[in-house]
Amino acid sequence: MSTVVAASVARSRRVVGRRARLGHGAVWAVLLGALALSLAPGLYMVSLSLMDNPQLFAGRLVPVPPHPENYPRAWVASNIGRLYWNSVYVSTVSMVVTVAISAMAGYGLGRLRFAGRGLVYGIVLVGLTIPLQIALIPLFINLRTLGLINTPLALIGPYTAFGLAFGTYIMKGFFQGLPRELEEAARLDGAGEFRIFARVMLPLTRPALATVATFLFLQNWNEFLFALTFVTEGRMRTLPTGIYALLSSEFYGNYPILAASLVLFSVPVLVLYFLFQQQFIEGLTAGALKH
Amino acid sequence: MLPATVRYRWRRQAAGYAFTGPALLILAAFLLYPIGYSVWLSLHEWDGYTPRWGPFVGLENYRALVADEVFWRAALNSIVFVIVRTPLEVGLGFLLALLLNRRLAARSLLRTLFFVPVVMSLIVVTIIFQRVYEPNTGLLNTVLHAVGLGAWAHPWLGDPATALPAVIAVSVWKNVGFSLVILLAGLQGLPQDVMEAARVDGANAWQLTRRVITPLMRPILALTALLSIIGGLKVFDLVFIMTRGGPTYSTEVLATMLYREAFELNHMGVASAVAVILVAVVLSIARIQALVLRESREIEAA
Repeated sequence: MSTVVAASVARSRRVVGRRARLGHGAVWAVLLGALALSLAPGLYMVSLSLMDNPQLFAGRLVPVPPHPENYPRAWVASNIGRLYWNSVYVSTVSMVVTVAISAMAGYGLGRLRFAGRGLVYGIVLVGLTIPLQIALIPLFINLRTLGLINTPLALIGPYTAFGLAFGTYIMKGFFQGLPRELEEAARLDGAGEFRIFARVMLPLTRPALATVATFLFLQNWNEFLFALTFVTEGRMRTLPTGIYALLSSEFYGNYPILAASLVLFSVPVLVLYFLFQQQFIEGLTAGALKH
Repeated sequence: MLPATVRYRWRRQAAGYAFTGPALLILAAFLLYPIGYSVWLSLHEWDGYTPRWGPFVGLENYRALVADEVFWRAALNSIVFVIVRTPLEVGLGFLLALLLNRRLAARSLLRTLFFVPVVMSLIVVTIIFQRVYEPNTGLLNTVLHAVGLGAWAHPWLGDPATALPAVIAVSVWKNVGFSLVILLAGLQGLPQDVMEAARVDGANAWQLTRRVITPLMRPILALTALLSIIGGLKVFDLVFIMTRGGPTYSTEVLATMLYREAFELNHMGVASAVAVILVAVVLSIARIQALVLRESREIEAA
């Protein structure tokens, strides 16, 4: 009986195998075509960044001869060192604060029972989907009243708040999945609630913390609308709005310099991505996959 | 002295508030309060400059919006944006995920490369595509000329008829990799015994995909679509940088209209009304989708 089944499985595998070989070429053709489409614009940007204006206006695709001197010029012209520093500072501070607060909130929601827990979780879920445009005008008005426009706090506050729902949601899911025994053992030893959280549970959530941190950092790093509205002074701009400002500056006429600035903006994140792919992919898809 | 159990229970309550308190305070200040403030502002007239908001006007701002052609244009564009973008994003992502879901050399490398546009900053992507669409020396028209399709060359962003499709294409390009990764993870989580059984029964690849894989994937396909719909309704950066809503409002969406009303026309009341409408739409879609998802999960469980 089992040999009959095995034979039929083997036969169907052979048939599938033959068809698979036939289909293999088609699959590769589609995949490589799609891959070319998804990489072409980025390569085009790199190519433009190495041209001069005559090559650009001649509609060239390949920069021969290349003009690497665009890069030092872009570095100076876009004041990108300053932009990097502002972006790193704002993104990192917001990320660290959000991770700390959402780890606590996730622990509270995931492992403690208290009246009103459902309501708190409901607010977190609303925060997860609501468009941040709703807060744009009220925050602008309040930040202006407090004199915080054009300060790092004008971005750190909103970024912290708007990452919080995501962080809390992921951390709650993770804390919920941890075994009860650990907590109970610590409690019998007389540990207080905060000690249990900080010494026993938190160290176990390192993968979730890394996921949340990656997501939040990238979200802050790329954020545009708040940065555009709350920071209007050149010196305080972050990378996205700093690069955007180049569009309306004299460099718009010199597209290769702009393209070189775009490459300089993208390279650090892309290098980190290729080094820590798994971390990035998990971070960016965590909201969709952890259900 | 209270009994120990009561004290214990009280301590647990207090711990719950202590742990969630900071998050709750921040969410209240940056989320709940702005929602209330926006609703309030949407009922007033205000240029944003006088120290206090102007006179209470009731639903006048909403009435003005309903009578405003640009608002309907923006609403329609937002809907078109979502209706065109979501099926393409989920459909192409699913196709690529199915093709990658096999023993394939370099599968993990391909997945990594397909995800690159997701990691790239939207600002960078938008500025690149502006150049791709540039009518005279941009990549798209250059390539069309090179392959003998010069007749198709077109001022893609300058023509109101093609501007919105051109912007949507960028959005799809940026997000296909995201759908792909989620759906590929879903495919890899499918019960292998069911697939093997169908194969033994002689199902070919097409039948297997259509009759077995797709129904099993329905909840995760719905989830991917939900994320795409909500993301599509919120779209701002892409349109704002690429076309500023133009030419002649052909790419204006709700989020760009909100920004224009608030910070270019100083109509804080009208802009707040747009924000309230946008939030109402997004939250109702999220709610509908949550119900659909729950239903599909219950069907699955039954």
